[in-house]
Amino acid sequence: MSLLSIEKLSVHFGGVAAVDDVSFDVREGEVCGLIGPNGSGKTTVLNLLSGYLAPRAGRVRMQGDDITGLAPDRLARRGVLRMFQMTRVFARMSAFDNLVTAGLARGVGEAESDRRAKALIDELTLGPVQFLDAGQLSGGQRKLLEFGMCFIEPPIVAMLDEPFAAVHPVMRDVMASFIRARHAQGATFLLVSHDMPIVVDLCQRAVCMNAGKVIAAGDIHAVLQDHDVIEAYLGESPDVGAAASLELGDPGRNAS
Amino acid sequence: MSAGRLWPERLRFDLAATLVLCAALAIVPIFVQSPYTLGIILVSVYFAIIALAWNLLAGYAGQFSLAPAAFAMLGAYTTALLDHYWHVPLVVGIPAAIVSTALLGWVLGKLVLNLSGPYLALTTLAFAEIARVVIGNSYEFTRGDQGMHVATLTQSRVGYYYIFLVTLLAVIALLYVLLRGRLGRFMMAIRDDPVGASSRGIDVVRTKSIAFCVSCALCGLAGSLYGTFSQLVSPELGLLQQTGLVLSMVVIGGMSTLTGSLLGALLVYLSSEWLRGFGNVQIIVFALLVILFARYLPGGLWGLVAGRLRPAAKR
Repeated sequence: MSLLSIEKLSVHFGGVAAVDDVSFDVREGEVCGLIGPNGSGKTTVLNLLSGYLAPRAGRVRMQGDDITGLAPDRLARRGVLRMFQMTRVFARMSAFDNLVTAGLARGVGEAESDRRAKALIDELTLGPVQFLDAGQLSGGQRKLLEFGMCFIEPPIVAMLDEPFAAVHPVMRDVMASFIRARHAQGATFLLVSHDMPIVVDLCQRAVCMNAGKVIAAGDIHAVLQDHDVIEAYLGESPDVGAAASLELGDPGRNAS
Repeated sequence: MSAGRLWPERLRFDLAATLVLCAALAIVPIFVQSPYTLGIILVSVYFAIIALAWNLLAGYAGQFSLAPAAFAMLGAYTTALLDHYWHVPLVVGIPAAIVSTALLGWVLGKLVLNLSGPYLALTTLAFAEIARVVIGNSYEFTRGDQGMHVATLTQSRVGYYYIFLVTLLAVIALLYVLLRGRLGRFMMAIRDDPVGASSRGIDVVRTKSIAFCVSCALCGLAGSLYGTFSQLVSPELGLLQQTGLVLSMVVIGGMSTLTGSLLGALLVYLSSEWLRGFGNVQIIVFALLVILFARYLPGGLWGLVAGRLRPAAKR
């Protein structure tokens, strides 16, 4: 069932169509990949979905309700949560207080926020740094903290913008297993990432964008073997081996 | 310096330190007989209230307003005008000052909501100067620069000293309650990252409006009380120089802590009186100190002290 329907969304920046007539669905309980080369409009779509940009045209519906153009804080309180590529944590509050604050912002009581924060700190392996100011954490730890802030109250949909970029492999594993665990519990994700092996590993479906348009959508393997997708990533004259490398970083393995 | 402890513990520690300072202030009249000296300490408590109010906005919510002195002036004039034209008793006139400045603060907050950094500072500065000039030039209504006479609560200087001290305690209690609850955390979240705060579900507009409203109302209360103490209200209360003094108090004492504002207000005002003996050098000295503190000691004096007093992080 479709949880989030994006219908003919468009936004222009000074005559450039950053997002041009984009439509796709995010289904309940899936990890949906949003992929595409740099500058293809992925983050702009997230900005539109999370209320940081108002679309010039188009609608966003969540479980049938029109949520187009709602302010970010209202969307967050309704369960549409996002993480940023450049993390946004509260630098002069402890990591633990960041989580409690996120809980309070979602309407969870203080004692309950406290309890959930403790559990998330353990799950995200942030124990040793929980009392440090968030500004003192490493980039990867901040990303883990953002995961925790999104999940202090289960979101209806969590939108992740390049969560794995420039993160230590150990923390990538923590993040990936966090996503898997929450997915197993029924959480829905929209995952923007360049990291194809992880996208293939985590996502069931994907939407590929290029130059502001959706060029392919559907089953992850089908999307990654789509001619237009390969061309968008690798340029002209692709071959079958290149398609395989796009998916697995291992030419030949999937070649058929 | 603030590493290693959770917000409720940090705040409780901060509150305890302010209460120690207030206790010290409470016994001052036993040792200080001179009405002049007591008056100076009283004025430093007046500044402490404004410093705490400004710190709520700047230190906790990250909104650098340059209008605290203007709001003190507006509060003072509210009470004075009500007294002068309608003979409204002070028990009504002083709360009226709180209400009027809260409303004006709310309006100012609305005007500057989408501004940040230098634009916010400049807009509040413009507001402050316009308010002062308008009051100064409305001679028929406000008697302009000559100022207005106001009724007083009591002729006793010691009495006034304790009125100010009780007000200070009430302000500290109010700030503690606000900061301890979700509002305090939301303000700090906005200070640290407004975009991040909204993405977590914090209503940035509402939180900022409340912060402006409360901060301006506290300045108004301080100004109103001060007017009844000096029995004279003039546009000088709103001079930018007064705001500069408040700013230096908070920066030197320590931003984003209650104790820092209180300590800074006492130290800066008392030393400014002492510096008077050396000519008009206070502003130069404090301006230099603000630069040095901002550069080398952003936690202020209290940051320096608290780092040593506070027990090491445990758990």
